[in-house]
Amino acid sequence: MLASLLLVALMLPPVLAQELCKESKDGFKVRLSIKQALDQEAVVRFSQYEWNESEMFLFRSALAFAMRRKTGNDTFRIENILVCNSTKRVSFVFVVTKPEDPTQLIPRDQVKAALRQSKHRINSAFLLSDQTLEFLGVPPTLAAPVSYGTPPWLIVFGVVMGIVSVAILALLMSTVSRRRQAKENSAGLAEEEEIVKESRTSLATLEATNGTYNQTFSIDDRLTKL
Amino acid sequence: MCPPNGNRTGALEECEVASPTQYFFYRETLNISSSIESSGGGIHMGQALCLLLAWIIVYLCIIRGVKSTGVVVYFTATFPYVVLIIYLIRGATLHGAWNGVKYMFTPKLEQLLTPQTWINAATQIFFSLGLGFGSLVAFSSYNHHHNDFEKQALAVSLINSGTSVFASIVTFAIYGFKATNNYESCLQRNCLQLINTFDLAEGSIDAHNVTEWIRHLNITHPDAFNSISEKIEHCSLEGELDTAVEGAGLAFILYSEAIRMMPLSQLWSVLYFTMLLLLGMGSMLGNVTAIITPLTDTPLLTNILSSETINGLVCLLCLLLGLGFTSPSGNYWFTIFNEYAATLSLLFIVFIEIVSVCYIYGLKRFEKDVEDMLGHRPNWYWRLMWAVISPLLLFSLFVFYIYSYIQGGVPTYQAWDKELGRSIVKQYPAFGQAVIALLLLSSLSCIPVSALITFCRRRRKQQGVQEEQLECPREKPTRATRS
Repeated sequence: MLASLLLVALMLPPVLAQELCKESKDGFKVRLSIKQALDQEAVVRFSQYEWNESEMFLFRSALAFAMRRKTGNDTFRIENILVCNSTKRVSFVFVVTKPEDPTQLIPRDQVKAALRQSKHRINSAFLLSDQTLEFLGVPPTLAAPVSYGTPPWLIVFGVVMGIVSVAILALLMSTVSRRRQAKENSAGLAEEEEIVKESRTSLATLEATNGTYNQTFSIDDRLTKL
Repeated sequence: MCPPNGNRTGALEECEVASPTQYFFYRETLNISSSIESSGGGIHMGQALCLLLAWIIVYLCIIRGVKSTGVVVYFTATFPYVVLIIYLIRGATLHGAWNGVKYMFTPKLEQLLTPQTWINAATQIFFSLGLGFGSLVAFSSYNHHHNDFEKQALAVSLINSGTSVFASIVTFAIYGFKATNNYESCLQRNCLQLINTFDLAEGSIDAHNVTEWIRHLNITHPDAFNSISEKIEHCSLEGELDTAVEGAGLAFILYSEAIRMMPLSQLWSVLYFTMLLLLGMGSMLGNVTAIITPLTDTPLLTNILSSETINGLVCLLCLLLGLGFTSPSGNYWFTIFNEYAATLSLLFIVFIEIVSVCYIYGLKRFEKDVEDMLGHRPNWYWRLMWAVISPLLLFSLFVFYIYSYIQGGVPTYQAWDKELGRSIVKQYPAFGQAVIALLLLSSLSCIPVSALITFCRRRRKQQGVQEEQLECPREKPTRATRS
């Protein structure tokens, strides 16, 4: 009997709850953009959901979880999260009451700290992100930038540089070896060429080339006087 | 998309104010300073390494002279066409590409009537043909005597213009896609602003009826609407298409943003930047060959060093000079060189070339040479162009450029301001203007100075010959009197 009386006393009458929520400066406005979030991810389209009372229940329990996690106080319950001003946009205002005294509100800064700590968990519960689940006045904590041990571009650079250097060395080696061979050959060939030249008939060499036409010796009055 | 700032509450300020692509280009790629005067800051390692790699690849292509260059150019010249065709197909299937192509082909009469447009067109064709750099002369010096250069000249000109048109179709398709995307996200932002302020359901306003909703809400809730009226942007597709950019802005910022919006963007960006690299490589091969060919033709150098060493030394020298552009203010110096080093002097050189061939060497003599090489004389079209029309056009372009330099007053440049997140116009300081003047004068003065030197040398030789001739008549009478 006493327990049920206590329970009734602890549960706030709805009118009082609405007043606490509406007038409070400790409340946060929340805005969800479900269609925007789940439209972009075409793969996750099947997980689109409508905003209804059950989703609101999940939200309130997620907030209670966030408060428990931050304060380490296991007495936070769903009744401590009061919601008002719900619109079709899917936006509303919520306040958090103290578990031991439902007429008192938790100050804004504490709620903010709790939110920042558990934002990722709350987002995941609704398959949303920092841009689509907005708590107005709570800046998002961005993920740390990815830092590599070896940056990937250095690896690509090393590979290309290695290939090109090897190609250059190979070409230079082949040029040097070709020149050395040519020197050896020319030393051996010089004698052979002379013998070949003498034994060749001069007529054959003359017929091979018709000679080249040298313009300097032609007389042509189409030339200018310069 | 933007990197987070120190306490990870939001994005970096510079990235917020500018767009992520601009931030990446100006801050992470270039690490650009706020003006050309700020010296120091060292060298950007990434840029220096890439410069080194580029010159090593150029050396690899040039190492055997024209033989290796000829093989490489088969690839560097055809691969960009392959990429352009791939981009054409990809661009044609993008949403909104047709807007861009339509925009390109609708003539804007008020632009066509201004002379500036035609001057820009003439300049573009002139520079894209690569005349006056010496690369055409260098490469053609390796041709056979009876090479059919008439057909080749026609082919090169037609292919050049055709490629320009083809590439601009591809560019405008991508551009139209980006402009449509920007326009639609502008409308989306307006929708979001309205439904957030008036707490309407999410799907109620979309891109099609946003303008009606704006009118409706302005009438029904005037106070609330006024509070957000400056946040409502004015979205216009024409306005997006009219913001045209060129040069580094087009290649690195606009195209990067467009590629980012495509699906599978890593593949497209690799293709695109490889094409840019090969295009630059192809031009560089021509320019370096133009420098190396006269060097290897002088017997003085080839007796001391082998041709591979000469090639290597030229590439090394260019690399060291290019390292200066990798400093934080290097991009501004690069812009100076890009705008002033080549433009005026190329016009001057080509003008002198054509005038000296037609009027000093003699058009008739030149026609005879052509007949000797090809078997027929050039017809009236070529003669008219060489003798009359081309020199006139070149001279008028040259005069126009000088006039615009003088009339433009102090030259200005675009400096990146990191607080504002965009480029602002600044004037060049005194040493910057001195460098511009030096660049212009040094490249223009090569022809007059070498003409003067040749003239003086010939004068001295003639004087020497005349002195010898004066001595001879004195000896003759003595011989005559003897016999």
